[in-house]
Amino acid sequence: MKFTFDEWFVVELARTIRDGEVTFHGFASPCAQVAMHLAKRTHAPNMMLIEGAMYAVNPTPAFIPPTGNDAVLKQGAVYSMRFEEFFDAAVRGDIDRMFLSGIQIDRYGNANLTAVGGMPRPKVKIGGGGGGCNVSATVRHLSIWSTNHRTGRCLVSACDFITDVGHRTPAGTRAELGYTGGGPDWMVTELGIFDFHEGRARLRRIFPDVAVEELEAATAFDLEVAADLTEVDPPERSQIEWVRKLDPIGIRRNEFRPQELQRTFGL
Amino acid sequence: MAFHLDADKLTDLNSAARLVPSGGLVALGGSLSARLPMALVRELIRLETAELHVVGSAHSIDVDLLVAAGAIKVCEQSYVGFEQDHGLAPAFRRAAQNGELEVRESCCDTVLTQIRAAEMGLPFLPVRGVKGTGIRELHPEYGEVTCPFTGETLVAVPALSPDVALIHAPMGDRAGNLHLEQPYVLDERFAAGSAAVVATVDRIVSTQEVAEAGIVIPAYRVAAVVEAPFGAHPTSAFPGYAYDRAHIAEWVRAAGTPQGAAAYLEQYVMSTDEAGYREMIGEQRMAQLRGYSDSTESWMSLYS
Repeated sequence: MKFTFDEWFVVELARTIRDGEVTFHGFASPCAQVAMHLAKRTHAPNMMLIEGAMYAVNPTPAFIPPTGNDAVLKQGAVYSMRFEEFFDAAVRGDIDRMFLSGIQIDRYGNANLTAVGGMPRPKVKIGGGGGGCNVSATVRHLSIWSTNHRTGRCLVSACDFITDVGHRTPAGTRAELGYTGGGPDWMVTELGIFDFHEGRARLRRIFPDVAVEELEAATAFDLEVAADLTEVDPPERSQIEWVRKLDPIGIRRNEFRPQELQRTFGL
Repeated sequence: MAFHLDADKLTDLNSAARLVPSGGLVALGGSLSARLPMALVRELIRLETAELHVVGSAHSIDVDLLVAAGAIKVCEQSYVGFEQDHGLAPAFRRAAQNGELEVRESCCDTVLTQIRAAEMGLPFLPVRGVKGTGIRELHPEYGEVTCPFTGETLVAVPALSPDVALIHAPMGDRAGNLHLEQPYVLDERFAAGSAAVVATVDRIVSTQEVAEAGIVIPAYRVAAVVEAPFGAHPTSAFPGYAYDRAHIAEWVRAAGTPQGAAAYLEQYVMSTDEAGYREMIGEQRMAQLRGYSDSTESWMSLYS
């Protein structure tokens, strides 16, 4: 079986979800969105899946649309949370896992979703962080991802602007800031997979077509590498089949630059 | 935030849009590609409304059109853009980078908390997050408060009471009772925390019909209601119609330059009214958008 990198990437995001977790993704996050549906259909049948901008609970959409609040995304859900019901749960600590990304991410897992060059006079004004500024402080675990590690501009030594909080900001640690969530525990990029050791990103797995030197050159902070660094475990055939079935339009591919979509593998 | 007790609030779009004062604090209902109050947005642009301070939770073409028309002074949104599909909002981005727009970027949960303070008649409420972020630095009006019970220091955010909330609903009655489909996003809270709701509906129906569908926003919050078929276009108003992805792509392409944005506004807004706008979109296209629910294939075909 041949498969492409976007399919594998979604599998790796799904693998950060543990069965039974209450899990949420934000809007504009198709890879995380497909990953949550994949996890629910495979290794995490008992998770509670809260569908991004719809707040629908455990929906079974026929396809993933290119926008986060199309009504197809509540198909099969008998209940949708109200907006405030979700945010109250998130700041109270009842959401176990949320997926977050950013145009810049530092070694502590802080993320910039606001502006390259900082505010108030940005070089590039990007969309904004949605609800992440508050809920990154209180959700129990954060899965971070980026599909732009290779550019060398994403994993930075310091974010130009901190929209979502990681393990520490220049203002202090999570404990010092009074943050009740646990912060990021995984960061998946198109080059490798990091955990967080003593609050700092540490490379644990690397994709088989990537060299450590290449990954290091694309990382602006000092790269910490786990002693047991290995290649990423290949996906299972059934996982790839589910990705294709759940996302027949291929919305997940919107997150990748063309060269990443050229990466193909075999099982 | 007084109640609005008139039995009949049905009016025309122009009169309704005139209830939005230049310089006013305006809450925008809906979010992303769903239920944005587009007919009102277009009419505000025709009226050359200016200096608006807009607030909302994750918006797209509504804010981008208003920015392109020069109608917004302060943008207090948690996000403005077209997700991973069409990407950055061109007019918003350009104005933010040129310093023509004050971006007081916020967070969905902070806006929710500020509106709740207004609803409750309180001067502020605390939030647990925001501390240590760049968002905090963009808001000198935020404060800090020490909890008298636990001693924790939390960020205090002031009550935010919009002058008007602009809300589009698939159906409502002449009194202003509105039925919405989930997600309501902040619309219920905006309705309760704003001085007045100005609403557009795809269909004016009997009170009995809207009550049977379920009243989400009660008439006493609503100052004016307008029948505006396809009034959320190019965004969706389920169960009536899906969003018009191709039209949004047309805007994003056009708005890549100030000249292109101006040409779009001239064609679809300034030189026409809502009936003319619907004619330009065309019955065939509107039928496709209404036909999303015919089959999974027809729904997917809108987006493939």
